[in-house]
Amino acid sequence: MPTPSTTTETVTLTIDGQTATVPKGTLVIEAARQVGVMVPHFCYHPKLTPDANCRMCLVEIEKMPRLQTSCSTQATEGMVVKSSSSVQAQEARKMVLDFILANHPLDCPVCDQGGRCDLQDFSHEYTATSSRFQELKRVFPKEYFSPLIETQMNRCVQCMRCVRYCDQIMDVKALAPTGRGTLTEIKAFGAHELDCEFCGGCVQICPVGAITSRLSMYEFRPWMLKRTDSVCGYCGDGCQITFQTKDNALIEINSTQGSGRNNGDLCARGYFGYHVSEHPDRLTLPLIRKGDEFQSVQWEEALELVGQQLLDVKAKYGADAIGGLISGRCTNEDIYVFQKFMRGVVGTNRIDSSARYGHLNGVHALQRVQGTHRWSVSFEDIESADTLLLVGTNITETNPITGLKVKEAVKRRGAKLITIEALNPAIGSISNIVNLAQQHLGVKPTGFSTAILGLLKAVVEQSILDAELQGKAPAYFNAISARLQALSWDAIFAQTGLASDLFTEAAQVFGQGKKVVVLVGPGVLRSEGGFGMTMNLMDLLLITGKLTNPGCGLAPLAEENNDQGAFEMGGTGAVLPGGTSLGDPAVRENLSKAWGRPIPDTPGSSLPQLIEDAQQGKLKALFVVGENPLASLPPSSGIHSALEKLDFLVCQELFLTETAQKAHVVLPACSYAEKDGTFTNTEGHIQSVRTAIDMVGESRPDWEIFSALSVMMNNPMEYGDVKEIGKEIRNLLPGTRTLGPAPLPAQPDSSAIARYVTTDYQRDIAPRYQLPVNDAATDEITLQVSQSLFHSGKFSRKAKGLLQVEATGKIYLHPEEAARRGISDGDMVKVSNSLGEVLTPVGLRERIPQGVATFPEHFDEEIRQLLPYKVDPETQVPYYKLARVHLKKVVGS
Amino acid sequence: MAQYETILLKNMEQPGYSGSLEDYERAGGYQALRKVLKDMQPDQVIEEVKKSSLRGRGGAGFPTGVKWGFIPKDHPGPKYLCCNADESEPGTFKDRQLMERDPHQMLEGMAITCFAIGAETSYVYIRGEFRLGAKILEKAVQEAKAAGYLGENVLGTGRTINIFVHAGAGAYICGEETALLESLEGKRGQPRFKPPFPATHGLYQKPTVVNNVETMANIPHIMNKGGEWFAGIGSPPKSCGTRIFCLSGHVNRPGNYEVPMGMPFREFIYDVGGGMRSDKPLKAFIPGGASAPFLTPEHLDVKMDFEAVAMAGSMLGSGGVTVMEEGTSMVWAALRLMEFFYHESCGKCTPCREGSSWLTQILQRIWNKQGRQGDLDLLDELCKNIAGRTICAFGEAEVGPIQSTLKYFRHEYEELIREAEATRPQSKEIPVFTH
Amino acid sequence: MLLEKFKDEVEEILSRYPVKRSALLPLLNLAQREEGFVSEPAMRDIAKVLELTPPQVFETVTFYTMFNLKPIGKFHLQVCKSLMCALVRSDDVVTWISKKLNIVPGQTTADNNFTLSVVECLGSCGTGPMMQVNDDYYEQLTEEKVVRVLDDLARDGNCHLKSGPFMFPTTSGKSR
Ligand SMILES: Cc1cc2nc3c(=O)[nH]c(=O)nc-3n(C[C@H](O)[C@H](O)[C@H](O)COP(=O)(O)O)c2cc1C
Ligand code: SF4
Ligand code: FES
Repeated sequence: MPTPSTTTETVTLTIDGQTATVPKGTLVIEAARQVGVMVPHFCYHPKLTPDANCRMCLVEIEKMPRLQTSCSTQATEGMVVKSSSSVQAQEARKMVLDFILANHPLDCPVCDQGGRCDLQDFSHEYTATSSRFQELKRVFPKEYFSPLIETQMNRCVQCMRCVRYCDQIMDVKALAPTGRGTLTEIKAFGAHELDCEFCGGCVQICPVGAITSRLSMYEFRPWMLKRTDSVCGYCGDGCQITFQTKDNALIEINSTQGSGRNNGDLCARGYFGYHVSEHPDRLTLPLIRKGDEFQSVQWEEALELVGQQLLDVKAKYGADAIGGLISGRCTNEDIYVFQKFMRGVVGTNRIDSSARYGHLNGVHALQRVQGTHRWSVSFEDIESADTLLLVGTNITETNPITGLKVKEAVKRRGAKLITIEALNPAIGSISNIVNLAQQHLGVKPTGFSTAILGLLKAVVEQSILDAELQGKAPAYFNAISARLQALSWDAIFAQTGLASDLFTEAAQVFGQGKKVVVLVGPGVLRSEGGFGMTMNLMDLLLITGKLTNPGCGLAPLAEENNDQGAFEMGGTGAVLPGGTSLGDPAVRENLSKAWGRPIPDTPGSSLPQLIEDAQQGKLKALFVVGENPLASLPPSSGIHSALEKLDFLVCQELFLTETAQKAHVVLPACSYAEKDGTFTNTEGHIQSVRTAIDMVGESRPDWEIFSALSVMMNNPMEYGDVKEIGKEIRNLLPGTRTLGPAPLPAQPDSSAIARYVTTDYQRDIAPRYQLPVNDAATDEITLQVSQSLFHSGKFSRKAKGLLQVEATGKIYLHPEEAARRGISDGDMVKVSNSLGEVLTPVGLRERIPQGVATFPEHFDEEIRQLLPYKVDPETQVPYYKLARVHLKKVVGS
Repeated sequence: MAQYETILLKNMEQPGYSGSLEDYERAGGYQALRKVLKDMQPDQVIEEVKKSSLRGRGGAGFPTGVKWGFIPKDHPGPKYLCCNADESEPGTFKDRQLMERDPHQMLEGMAITCFAIGAETSYVYIRGEFRLGAKILEKAVQEAKAAGYLGENVLGTGRTINIFVHAGAGAYICGEETALLESLEGKRGQPRFKPPFPATHGLYQKPTVVNNVETMANIPHIMNKGGEWFAGIGSPPKSCGTRIFCLSGHVNRPGNYEVPMGMPFREFIYDVGGGMRSDKPLKAFIPGGASAPFLTPEHLDVKMDFEAVAMAGSMLGSGGVTVMEEGTSMVWAALRLMEFFYHESCGKCTPCREGSSWLTQILQRIWNKQGRQGDLDLLDELCKNIAGRTICAFGEAEVGPIQSTLKYFRHEYEELIREAEATRPQSKEIPVFTH
Repeated sequence: MLLEKFKDEVEEILSRYPVKRSALLPLLNLAQREEGFVSEPAMRDIAKVLELTPPQVFETVTFYTMFNLKPIGKFHLQVCKSLMCALVRSDDVVTWISKKLNIVPGQTTADNNFTLSVVECLGSCGTGPMMQVNDDYYEQLTEEKVVRVLDDLARDGNCHLKSGPFMFPTTSGKSR
């Protein structure tokens, strides 16, 4: 699409007598929209490059011989356009409708699009009440298309929006327009069913009812639906979603083009994963353990019990014998009230959240080097970057919409992409970001730290350095170069399999970038040494002089929807709301005053610390909110014995999870579809979550439960509604940006940088600039437990739509790796190491590097036992995603 | 009967001429390329072609030199030449002969064109069914390469000119230049909207010239003898040179005949082509391939040049002249062509895609004596709303036969409809709203 | 794998184009030449070589009429039915073939030898009626000629009546 140039050059034209001044390069159809003239169209879509195939948008343009398609004609100075004022254009459009309707079935009564169909609307507008078409309509035999997406090709108007979306936006290319002429039909491959990312984009972009969702098929008429705009609860991208409900039931989800951080695009989780909230297994009443059984009770009884137990433990062992753990899926308001409850009512700082699982590594690195706890870039900066470096992001699976921003930058705006990923460039049914890379440094999941060092070494060797900063902080530069010089290219090759010239080329591309964004994902943030690797990437930006340039920065990707909020709301022990340090007495003082409650000066603790203390009997009670550590952490973390040792475990949950099953009390919380609040996405945007359906059973919003408990514990924190909490947060944290469109990203703080490059870097430079110990010899294959595109944690396993695409876990191998071992697709293998052994079926994927096997973490209940566990000494992030294992085919499988 | 100097078919008219490099060289082949490379600048070549007034032989008749002149001179990246050998227009079969019998002639033309526009790589997009032609061309390319006329160091000048033969796979629309480019890029051969034009955004979005085989075959001769010489042949100032017209249908001697442009159809059909094959007189003829509207005996004195045929309400198009004798049903003829267009519509543009099926069904109905009153008005209106409303010229092409037969032979349609009405069982009309 | 077998040819084809996808039609032609039709495994192979998704190959294959998605007879008889050939009675050619082989257009003989199709203009309107059989053209058909072609093909797998390099009218028939 000819993106309107950024220069302010404009042209002025008239459309139906109205004057419009638009940037040069603007399409006539868009210029018309700006002055309120809606030109009817099917194939045009602002997201896609014009195709001008439907011929509906014809307009009359003075001095042009025939009618022009306004979707493909650029506005020029002095142009005189007639749309609805042109009789000729109006008649032509009417005739286009006639042509389309000739072969279009009139099955509007049973079409899910009926009522929001462009074809219906235009037919109405152009009063196409009769047709002279009396011949035979073409009929495509109905074919099964896919578990989630339905096609009714007789309704297709061949606008190719679906096909173009699948290619241009998603880079998936799963839809094939087959045949020719009137017999053109959208299919998958041959007679096979559709195998793709199931982003739902084709359903959303189809202007008629040719592609619809099977999940909501025949369940509604569009005018019965109530819309509620909200935010997706799955990953950190924070997509705008609209719940469409009918009689309090979730019928479907979609997203509005042009709105939200996602601009209307969604992934499978967002589009098809909405049935969790209505799952029959939802907890509807509080449960209290009676022996081996749970008993349903009324809220009063449960709350009294919890309050009393907490007070008892506190009285007996002190407040620090109580710990809290909250999910990064909760709203900011929930997390804020929880930590206030723990600190102010219970009296302990021993709280943690799922930001601990990795996001903290990124946030702490940002804080330490540039003094911000948020990105200094935004999604817009990713789209307009000229150079992007992705490290361990697995971006399509983990943060699919951020992935779309990267695709936009590379595919449409010509950005250069460098990837350091544990992926092979290979085409599959899911898009693969490394296919778009100009420089791809493929490593095993254990190779990220070495690859980052290799890139740094190449940068230093090429002298792609910021001379000014070097002059100011020679010792910092010297320390880094000296350490990099000590690393040999041979050793780097031995660990990564990558030769020095690859690093050199990547370094050159990186160095030439003016607007450079580095994205870091779980491969770094959740793997051993994650903090050090992130710091080294900060160094990379810093020494090349990019960190402080506009449009440049490091972007650690949050895996869960509100990991960033969990940190900012004070959900990680040693950090108070606003990302401030618990260790700072002045901060504590201020907050105590505002709360009217003392904040304990005892240290905060991390989840690994809580586990250890529970095992040692120092922690007696644990309050778990929306987290399921038994299902997240491997047995090697000691979580089982830790929980068993507790005197009192209370879980606040949607479902009776593995952890909840061990609890003494289970409190039913409601899901994000049932409450108001805010989420903070990975780039730091705070967005509103809104109530779409009534609360299920007796479930309550998390904050309400904490508030009620505080009353029970005679230390009431009362809030009338979520807005009050929001107001309190904003008053307390002037830095908390208000809701609204794209606020400016945080700016790196020069004093923080100055501190870092003079002294602070010294603290851990030695371990960070060492190659990891090569343990490749010990076992035979690296197992990585990783994120799948179709799930999010264990939560999404309750989403019937997503289960249709992926219902079980498999160990995935490269086909050649499998062949070498005599293993075929679907075989059972024994996966084993010193920690245990597991049987699992095998799947094949070409994008997985040889010597690596992956397993989706969402189905890891068995495989988890093989994972060793380590804790980051700096950030206390637990690492448990990688293992070395043996693979053996189970004979007879 | 007058004698005509042939230019393009001259070599192959010599007995025993095999089209081999040896034969071609013996007939003076590749002298033009030598001369151009040695003595001329690209601009001069383009000037000479402009001077010749050569117009494209593919159908649209666009001035070739002007087209070349649109190629940006200072463009840094690669530029391309594509020779359009898709020849799929019903009634046209001249490129096939040029390729199979004298392949070097067009290759030399291509090499010169590459030099003129600054292209190193060029492709001959040949329709997939022409297996023999493709084989012959491939062999000729190898010969020319071995002889130094093509390849990396053409005639020792250090210049690279590569020609690759690329076969299509059965799609008429791939003859349309932008569809050809899409197809050459390995995609569905659907036309691109213009602007941008291939001259700036062609193959792989690079500056590209697309020229027909016959257009290319003219180039060596223009270089050898000069633009002025060429401009003096035929029907100057606008229709210069000879053209190979393809004669088919109910004539005595169908075939390819190279004659100077401007000859009247009467002379071409009756003298050159030997007249009607039976004693039935001529009823109608198509002057320029299936896309060209039909003409009637009263047009026999129209001159075969671009302007005159256009004035007569048709077009010279691809040069395919099809003659139909008295007794041929014009409804049937229009239907046959309509079926072709229905089969070949790429399906991109709504009016073309849906219109072609709708028109075909109506014609079939009328032909099968199931026509209805009002059908002819409907045909008129559908045609009006297809022509000029599509991305490529296929839209105009597909309605040409119907519009022209309706114009000249409306009574034949009416006759059939009358018959239908007479035999149709009468039922009470119930007004309905239908779609 | 098909493409393994023709490695050199594939390499040579790829070397002609700066963008891989351009090699799609040539490779599909190669696949069809080898197997008689374009099979699914072939499409997958080609997709892999060209770094395309299988649906991208599929959409292209189905656009072009020369690609068969299913196996057909050993000899593919394609009779042109467009107007110019129809004027010189190409419909009769179909009848002659049908009569001789006992199949209608779209069908294959029981011995898998012949598949009959009617197709649109093949660029030999001056020499109609005509048909293409696999790579070869047979022109100016008469019933007698059609019968001979079919007999020869069935017996020898070849027939010398096919057209050589095109030249009509022949010099002797030239009008001047
Ligand atoms: C539907 C359609 C089919 C065409 N088919 C052919 C063709 O088969 N061969 C050809 O040379 N030009 C064909 N053309 C014309 C080309 O688009 C283009 O004008 C021509 O190749 C340019 O070459 P020239 O300038 O040498 O004539 C076709 C055009 C249209 C609209
Ligand atoms: S399915 Fe819908 S979006 Fe896709 S081409 Fe058809 S009408 Fe257009
Ligand atoms: S675009 Fe297909 S016919 Fe013109």
